[in-house]
Amino acid sequence: MTALVEIQNVHKAFGGVHAVENVSLQLHPGEVVAVLGHNGAGKSTLMKMLAGAYPIDSGEILVNGHAAKIASPADSQALGIETIYQTLALADNLDAVQNLFLGRELLTRFGLLDDDAMEQAARETFHRLNPNFKNIRVPVRALSGGQRQVVAISRALYFKARVLIMDEPCAALGPEETRMVHELVRRLKSEGVGIFLITHDMPDVFGLSDRLSVMKNGKVVGTYRTTDLTEDEVLAMIIGGKPVARVEQWAPQ
Amino acid sequence: MNSKLQISALDLRLSLMAAVLVVMAVVFHAATGTFLTPENLYNIAQQTAVVGIVATAITLVIVARQIDLSVGSVLGAVGVLIAWLMYSKNWGWISASLAGLAMALAIGLYQGWLTAVLGVPSFVVTLGGLMSFRGAAFLVADGKTQPITDATFLALGGGLDGALGPRLSWALGIVLVALLVWSGFARRARKRKHGFPLRPLAFDLALMAGFSIVVLGFVGLMNAYRLESKPEAQGVPIPVLIWGVVVFGISFIANRTRFGRYVFAIGGNPEAAQLVGIPVRRVTIKLFMLLAVMITVAAIVAVARLNAGTNSLGTGMELYVIAAAVIGGVALSGGSGTVLGSVLGALMIQFLDSGMLLMDVSIGSRYVIIGQVLIVAVAFDVLYRRWTGERIA
Repeated sequence: MTALVEIQNVHKAFGGVHAVENVSLQLHPGEVVAVLGHNGAGKSTLMKMLAGAYPIDSGEILVNGHAAKIASPADSQALGIETIYQTLALADNLDAVQNLFLGRELLTRFGLLDDDAMEQAARETFHRLNPNFKNIRVPVRALSGGQRQVVAISRALYFKARVLIMDEPCAALGPEETRMVHELVRRLKSEGVGIFLITHDMPDVFGLSDRLSVMKNGKVVGTYRTTDLTEDEVLAMIIGGKPVARVEQWAPQ
Repeated sequence: MNSKLQISALDLRLSLMAAVLVVMAVVFHAATGTFLTPENLYNIAQQTAVVGIVATAITLVIVARQIDLSVGSVLGAVGVLIAWLMYSKNWGWISASLAGLAMALAIGLYQGWLTAVLGVPSFVVTLGGLMSFRGAAFLVADGKTQPITDATFLALGGGLDGALGPRLSWALGIVLVALLVWSGFARRARKRKHGFPLRPLAFDLALMAGFSIVVLGFVGLMNAYRLESKPEAQGVPIPVLIWGVVVFGISFIANRTRFGRYVFAIGGNPEAAQLVGIPVRRVTIKLFMLLAVMITVAAIVAVARLNAGTNSLGTGMELYVIAAAVIGGVALSGGSGTVLGSVLGALMIQFLDSGMLLMDVSIGSRYVIIGQVLIVAVAFDVLYRRWTGERIA
C-alpha cells in the first residue's frame, strides 16, 4: 500500500542548530500517528515543514507516492494537508466565518467576497461540530476556547483534509471539548483521513493513536505500535531518548 | 454587543463620534455665530478633502500594522512634479497627472518592498522617505513655484468655480439616497433568502433615514451657499465629490475584496495570516501602492486648490493624516479601524482648527489644543476598548 505521506530523511537547521535531523516518518490512510517529544525536540518544526510554513533544507516529502514540492502553506493545502496549530492560527479581530475561510475565501463571479455563501457553509460546518455554536458573526476573541477550537477544526473539515496535522489539539480544552476532539479524530480516521497528532498527553496517545514516534534533539528515537508499549515506556523514551528494546520497532512494509 | 441589532462596538464608536462632531459644531456656532453657515461649512468640507483622501488609505496601512510618515513629502514631490510638467514642460493635465501617479507608484513600490520583503520597519523606511521626498520636491522644480492656469485642472481643487452647481448636486444626492435604500433592502432580501437572522425592519429603516438625512442635508447646505457675483448656488465642491468617491472605493476594497480581508487578517494576527497561506508580502506591497494612488489624487486636489505647485506642499500633513485615522478609531496595534472613522476623524480636526480660527485663537494655542485632543481621543479609545472587552495589544 502506498503511504499517504512519506517523509524521507528530512533536515532542517536554524542558524547552526539542527532542529530536525534525518527524520523519516510514514502515514497511511485511516491511521493516527502520534509524534511525541519534549519542547524543542523538533516535532513542531517537522510538522511545519509538512504544512509549508518552513521550507525543508534537504530530504523529500512524498504524498501518495509522488514527490511533493511544498514551498508555502498554499502548496500544502492544495495537496489536501490541513494543519490545526496549537495557537489555532486565528485572526482575533475577524469573526468565525471569516476565519474559517481565511486565505481561501469563496468568491462571487465578479471576484468579490461571497459572504452569504461563506456564512451558509460555515453554519453547516460549525453545526456538525457543535450545534450550540451560534455567535459566529462576532470577533473570535470573544469566543470560548472550545468555540475557537471548533473554528480551527472546521477548516480541516470544510476543506476535506486527507492528511491532518493536529498540534496539541486538547491542550487548552475542558473535558467536554476534549471528547468532541476525540470523537472527531475517530470519525475522520474511519473516513480514511491520515492524522499526525502532536501531543504531550498520554490519554490522547493511547486513546487515539495507532502508532507513535518519539523525537529528541531533532532525531527520531523510535517508532512503535502504540499497543506494544506501556505509558511508562513511552515516558522513559521521551525523557531518556533511548529506544525501547523489549519489543521490536515498527518498520514500513 | 447587541446581538439582535447586530451593532458592533465599532458602530457604536462611530455613532458616538458623529454625536461629538454635532456637539462641536453647536458649541463653535454658539461661540462665533458664524460656524454653522453654509459658507463656513462649504470651506471646511473642501479644506478637509486633501487630508481626508489620504486618511482613508492610511487607515488600511495602519490596520495592517504598518505606518507611513512620508505621505506629506510624497504628496509634495508628486504635486510639484505635476505642476512643473504642466507649467515648465507644457504637458496637458491628464498626462502630467499620470506621470505624477507613476512617480507615486514607484515610491510606493520602493517603500513597500523595503518593508515587506527586506523587513525594514515601515516607521524607519518612511521616516527616511519623509526627508528624502521633501528634498525631491525641491529638486523637481529647483525650488521654484510652478503656477497653474488650466481651468479644468483648477476646478478639481474646488474654490469658487470648482463645484457641481445646484442641479447636479441634488441629482447626486438623490441617486445616493436611492442607492442607499436599495442596498439596504437588497441586503435584507439576501439575508432572508439564506435564512440568516434579520435586524428589526424599523431599525434598518431608521438607519437608512439617518444616512439619507445626512446626505440630503449636506447637499442642501452646499446649495444654500451662493455668491453675490454668481447666478447659481455653489453646490457640492468637487474635492468633496472626489473624497466621497475615494471613501466609497476604499470601503469597498476593505469590505468586499479578498485583499481587504487579508489586510485586516494581517493586522489581527500576522503569524496566523502567514500560516493560512495569505501572501503577506504581496499584500503589504499592494497596500503601499494603494496609498500611493490616493496620495496622487490628494496631490492633484492640493495643487489645484493652491493654483500652484510649491516645494512646501503637504508639509506636516502626515501628522494630520495619521491623527485623523487615529481619532477615527484605527488601532495602532493593528487589525481594527474603519474608513468611515477616518472621515469623521478628519472632520473633527478641521472643525477644531476652523472653529478656533473663527474664535481668533492664536496658531500656537491651536496646535497645543489639537495635539492634546489627539491624546484625549486615543485615551478614550483605550478605555473604550477595555470597556467593550476588546484586546489591546
